[in-house]
Amino acid sequence: MTLTAARPAAARTGRPAPAPRRRGRRWALYTLLTVMSLLTMGPFVAMLVVALSPRGEPTLPARWPASLTFDNIAQVLNASGFAEWTINSLVYSAVSVVIILLTASMAGYAFAKKRFPGRDAMLWTFLATMMVPFQATLIPLYVLVSDFGGADTFWGLIVPTLANSQAVFLMRQFILGLPDELFDAAKVDGASELRVYWTIVVPLTKPILATLGVFVFLWHWNDFLWPLVISQSDATRTLTVGLTVLKTEEMQWATLMSSAAVSAVPCLLVFFLLQRYLVNSIAMTGLK
Amino acid sequence: MNPVRHRLRDPITGLLFVLPMLVLFLIFKIFPTLGAAGMSLTNWNIGGEWDFIGADNYTRLVNDPNFWSSLRATLVYTAIYVPLVVLVSLGTALLLNAIVFMRGLFRGILFLPYVTSFVFAGLIWRWIYEFDGLINGLLAKLDIAPVAFMERSELVLPALALVSCWKGFGYSMLILLAGLKAIPGSYLEAARVDGASAWQRFRSITLPLLKPALFFVLVIETIASFQVFDTIYVMTGGGPAKASYTLIYGIFERGFRFWEFGYAATWGMVLFAVVLVVSLIQRRFVGRENT
Repeated sequence: MTLTAARPAAARTGRPAPAPRRRGRRWALYTLLTVMSLLTMGPFVAMLVVALSPRGEPTLPARWPASLTFDNIAQVLNASGFAEWTINSLVYSAVSVVIILLTASMAGYAFAKKRFPGRDAMLWTFLATMMVPFQATLIPLYVLVSDFGGADTFWGLIVPTLANSQAVFLMRQFILGLPDELFDAAKVDGASELRVYWTIVVPLTKPILATLGVFVFLWHWNDFLWPLVISQSDATRTLTVGLTVLKTEEMQWATLMSSAAVSAVPCLLVFFLLQRYLVNSIAMTGLK
Repeated sequence: MNPVRHRLRDPITGLLFVLPMLVLFLIFKIFPTLGAAGMSLTNWNIGGEWDFIGADNYTRLVNDPNFWSSLRATLVYTAIYVPLVVLVSLGTALLLNAIVFMRGLFRGILFLPYVTSFVFAGLIWRWIYEFDGLINGLLAKLDIAPVAFMERSELVLPALALVSCWKGFGYSMLILLAGLKAIPGSYLEAARVDGASAWQRFRSITLPLLKPALFFVLVIETIASFQVFDTIYVMTGGGPAKASYTLIYGIFERGFRFWEFGYAATWGMVLFAVVLVVSLIQRRFVGRENT
């Protein structure tokens, strides 16, 4: 592919491609990229090796382990709390994905295609809240939620994280691009508003809903500060918080690395299944 | 269809569709934002009792050496992290843009850490920096004495910045790569024909055309660097000797270790002000780009 791309260019400029120099350049490019990739992957590989090393036997960084075992992983999976934390993280992420996709696409639709009093003011307020860092509102949010008995409950964990302006904006921008005629036609046919939303808006926004869903899942699965302050027992503690509790109780690196590895499995699954999707959408949507 | 009914139907359904998100926003975003400003004027504590104490928290803040050292730690961290992550993501984006064969594979590998959590990154890197960890193990093979990365004040912020860079540069890399792809190949080709060197082409074509993407990356990474918390909580606990005690760590400790909610909210207001200034600078510049 590189050759076919290079040849017409050389032909256009009317001079032969400087072949040896270009080959040297390509070597340099691939060498640099390989070095960067090794540096990026190194921590993952080292983590896996330590996680799979038999207990009490020499392992990295002194030497490669003589054999590998799944004992540590099995032990982590059976450890008290770990299964609970995993389920809590799944609930936290899955419920948030469903509700945010629903409420954000509804609000996005209204902001994009409806006229109602105060619409623009509301939109600007939503936009302005993006500039407020979550951590600056952490204290009042905690006081508010715990005053209503939300500390260490699922609703206290989940509901405050559902107000997501990025999601609303993304949906609005996408729905703005859909032709008005679609909605007018449906209205002329006498479709109810809910029907229009469910049979026109939702199907047509599927690609952007999927992208948003992936991001919301990652945000919540990897979230730390809010679960840290609001979950106080294993009943609602998520995996990220659990990992730091584990840290203080158990100092075996093999155990720590195994639990870290297990905790990252859903993210890595998302990555391997939806990589192309994720990668292409970042530049398009600016979601972070 | 009756046009009057139609006109009425639109506002009501519009409001109904916005309502769920609007309620969430009012309660969990707007109210706490105003609440933060209000709380910073009180001595609110864990019991829930409070008195209005005016600007006392702010006076205390200005006289609090912990606050100034945390502001300094945050700014030093930003000064290390932002150039580091911009250079790494720009470098890798340029490399990826220059190849065709296996580009997807390299892009995927370099992006991979982005999908993991900062807690995950913090745990792995704690072991990497450990006295008997990966780096010191490699140094030992070269007969170099071990370095206590997490115990030396001058090393802890660069070490933390490197962790965040490893975890996050893939995102900025993708933004810059998209920016590079948007530069018309004919510009670069024309410059090449005119005999411009690779550096000249980069300096006077690529860089100016990449400016909007670079600026975006600069701003989001700066804001991200003010908000660093998870890795510090996992790796250093603000230490050694408060060398990695950042603004957010201060909010967390004041609030959830000393339970001084009013004073912690005051720290939060400073964070808010700092982020606001950066966002306003961004808006100003981006506005100018567009006009």
